Amino acid sequence: MKKKIAERFGAVTIKENILERRVPKTPWYQGDGATLTTLLLVQVITGVTMTLYYTNSADFAYDSVEYITTTLPMGWLVRAIHFWTAGIMVVVMVGHFFRHLVMGGYKPPREGTWTVGVLQFFLVLTMSFSGYVLRWDERAIYAAHVLLNMFSKVPLIGEELVLLVQGAPQIGSLTLTRFHSVHVLIVPLLLIGLVAVHLYLVILHGITAKAEHKRAIETAGEQKKAYKEAAQSPERGEWFYPEANARIGTMALAVFLLAFSLALVAGPPQLYPEANLVRSSMPQEEWWFWWYSALIAQLPPAMAPIFYPVFPLALFVGMLLLPILDRGSNRGPRKRPVWVAAVGLSIIALLWLSSLRVQSPWTGWPDSRPPPVPEQVVISEKAEKGRLLFSRYGCNSCHALASHGRKVGPDLARIEHRMSQKELRTFILNPPDDVSMPSYQGRMGADDLERVVEFVLVAQTFPRRTGQGEQKGQ
Amino acid sequence: MNRRTMMKWLVKGIGLVTAAMVGIPTMIAAFSPSWLHRSRRSRWRFLGAVDSLPLGEMRKIVVALPDEEWGEALRQKAVYAWRPAERQVIVYSRSCTDLGCPLTFDPGSQCFFCPCHGGIFDKNGERLAGPPNRPMYRYAARITEGGEIEIDLNSVPPMA
Repeated sequence: MKKKIAERFGAVTIKENILERRVPKTPWYQGDGATLTTLLLVQVITGVTMTLYYTNSADFAYDSVEYITTTLPMGWLVRAIHFWTAGIMVVVMVGHFFRHLVMGGYKPPREGTWTVGVLQFFLVLTMSFSGYVLRWDERAIYAAHVLLNMFSKVPLIGEELVLLVQGAPQIGSLTLTRFHSVHVLIVPLLLIGLVAVHLYLVILHGITAKAEHKRAIETAGEQKKAYKEAAQSPERGEWFYPEANARIGTMALAVFLLAFSLALVAGPPQLYPEANLVRSSMPQEEWWFWWYSALIAQLPPAMAPIFYPVFPLALFVGMLLLPILDRGSNRGPRKRPVWVAAVGLSIIALLWLSSLRVQSPWTGWPDSRPPPVPEQVVISEKAEKGRLLFSRYGCNSCHALASHGRKVGPDLARIEHRMSQKELRTFILNPPDDVSMPSYQGRMGADDLERVVEFVLVAQTFPRRTGQGEQKGQ
Repeated sequence: MNRRTMMKWLVKGIGLVTAAMVGIPTMIAAFSPSWLHRSRRSRWRFLGAVDSLPLGEMRKIVVALPDEEWGEALRQKAVYAWRPAERQVIVYSRSCTDLGCPLTFDPGSQCFFCPCHGGIFDKNGERLAGPPNRPMYRYAARITEGGEIEIDLNSVPPMA
């Protein structure tokens, strides 16, 4: 009876063809795909739960997120799990992409699997961006601004694209409803459909097995033969269920537990003040986009507008064309040292850029606090006046002094080329053309200029390695 | 053409026509903002009395946005305005011309700072540093006979 019911619902076919199939032995790290599927499922469950309370009207969206976070029983945890699994999903997805670059996972017969994967890659990135716009706080509205401005740089149709994404002549409720539809309906529907196709193709063409790395494999036929031999071998093959399943499932569980622990410990992401176009604000993208932000900050003005449309498009087209461009027969890391090096360098670059974004040395910002004077250092009355003027004239909006303050301009106590009093005066009043500094000519009186110069020269004699705790006057 | 080929074309044709019956109206509805809001008529808004803006001083001023914009918190917008000469007003959008992050004016250095990628502009809206490749967006501004400053909200790009 039980078997009959199972048969009628197609479960027997699934059992025989999917669960009880032979596969080549699967190392744990091949569980990154299963991890992504698990994380997506977690995203769907937590996301659907939040839609029970979320309101996509610009007047109430922020309040509803606040309600989910602060009032709804377990709401904070649901939101925290959604957030942390989202970020980790982006990381695992990039890892999955890198692994297949190293393995040659796009080679015959997996070109289709790869192509669907590329589409999924960009859909997940869209999800990871559109999600935090729904919070409708300051971070959200400026994230939307950044995206709109990127679209505005597309030649010929820039303004049309802006209006299409914005939904109205200016950012507002129609923008939010669009991001909501994209995040909650359009992309999830496409993504879940593509995941189904991707998984079907993984079953059809198999995982990138070690058996394929041993010798050069040119055609899909050769791959199928090598794959089948390994899968059927008692030593090199195993059953998908439960052997392979247990191993890749362990990885998925471990990664989910990491996300869950972060959700428990760090909680949901901070909510900034409600979306507005009035307050002075220092918005920042979510941590999985830090590297991109740092990359943008390095762009020379002539290149920036070209980079915004070209980089994502080039990445997309490059990924799609990869199976056609790289037709070599080598698979596996040992035979693909160039790809191993490229992926290694990319990981280093991503981490380095992300850490750079945390420091953001390119950002100038008003700061009313004068730079501190080290403990036990007494400065003249003139220099003390100069210290106060240093912040009043906004010098510390860009310049650090003995490591205190912004790092747009050089640290004035640490500059290698020490200037004379006269040189400093000239520099402040009329900075050279190639220096990004405003001229103080006509704005800073002779007395104030003398005081500021005096303070800078005095600061250059401050003892080095001064810790923050030893400072006074902050 | 045999019967089978004709049937194949018929099935494909009916499928396509049905898809078009649903697809065309939904696509038009979804994409309509791209052309609906393209022609942008001037929309003048009161900014303040010209005398309330001290000569040479940069001020952050909040303007009311059109009522039909949904979202109460977004029915007003801050702009930066200053008066270089008696009868001249310059009004800037707060959007950085790089990626639209909100610029903040520093009265000390008389510079605008972008919080995102290092854009810095001087008081005249000219770029000093960072990736922006054009000066700050300026609103079309006029001083009425009654001494009131008005700006055209639609004189800057829609994302500014």
